[in-house]
Amino acid sequence: MINDLIYLYCITKSPPQLNHNMEFKGLKSIVIDNFYVIIKYVSNSEFSEENFKKNISDILWVESNAREHIMVISKVMESGTVIPFKFGTIYKTKTSLKKFITDYSSSLIENFHNIQGKEEWSVKIYCNRKVLSEQIDELSEETATLEKKIMASSPGKAFLFKRKKEDLIETEMNRLNNSYGQEYYDEFKNLSESTRLNNLLPKEFTGTENTMILNATFLVSKNRVNDFKSTVDKLIKKDEKFCFIIEATGPWPPFSFISIKEKQ
Amino acid sequence: MNNNVIDRSKDITILELLDRVLNKGVILTGDIVISVADIDLVYLGVKLMLSSVETMEQLKSGRSIST
Repeated sequence: MINDLIYLYCITKSPPQLNHNMEFKGLKSIVIDNFYVIIKYVSNSEFSEENFKKNISDILWVESNAREHIMVISKVMESGTVIPFKFGTIYKTKTSLKKFITDYSSSLIENFHNIQGKEEWSVKIYCNRKVLSEQIDELSEETATLEKKIMASSPGKAFLFKRKKEDLIETEMNRLNNSYGQEYYDEFKNLSESTRLNNLLPKEFTGTENTMILNATFLVSKNRVNDFKSTVDKLIKKDEKFCFIIEATGPWPPFSFISIKEKQ
Repeated sequence: MNNNVIDRSKDITILELLDRVLNKGVILTGDIVISVADIDLVYLGVKLMLSSVETMEQLKSGRSIST
């Protein structure tokens, strides 16, 4: 099997410490334009245009390779700032990789400057709508008022009000999801240098019954990471018996905060 | 609170992983690179995987009732 395609993981400005790590067999650090470029030679059988497209539909193959992608970049990140590349970024020759680095070098430098001393953190917040609907009268004045009306009404009238309340609960839950989502987002945003909002993912992708209400990424200065983490802890603790579930992960390579422009 | 991603790599959900490594913010470069259509395929794979896990769980719980 000939490994002659170049898989690009990331670029860093400090010499990476990879030599003694057996799990990263085959990794190479090459120097181009004062950057350390972390690559691995991979085979056509896995990564040629045609075979890569075939492999993409095998989720187990994707998962294992995507995990390796993250592991390698995270390891390099231990010894310095990195510019990470998308999973499966392949060059056919060293010449074309070199051309990319040279053409984009000023933009790469600018990006290093922007992400230096910062970490990427991801926050996903979910709502358990069943729990929220049980707590709705405590959180929504409108539904509480309607509930009082139901209690004070004749059975016939109460029936109509109950139907009205069902619709109102849905509207109020959506409103509460938006306002809590915004509140949490603002709290994390205040501790960050930059933020990115990602698409809310439907249940069929998240594999949970809960509804995603916030999917955001934050670029946090290293000296504020502890504040960021304790805010996560504080909110998780506060919401323990509440309907919102907060998931924070990091530090990630700064995938969301890189923007490369070709030399003009 | 979670620790460094390297320490917990095995605990990271596939969704979180893909959300990062296929992120739209990452530079699109390379002679061969994953396209938007390919990314849709990956997410289709996730959907199938999750629904098959769900089916397995339903089957398991069904079996436990019958035995």
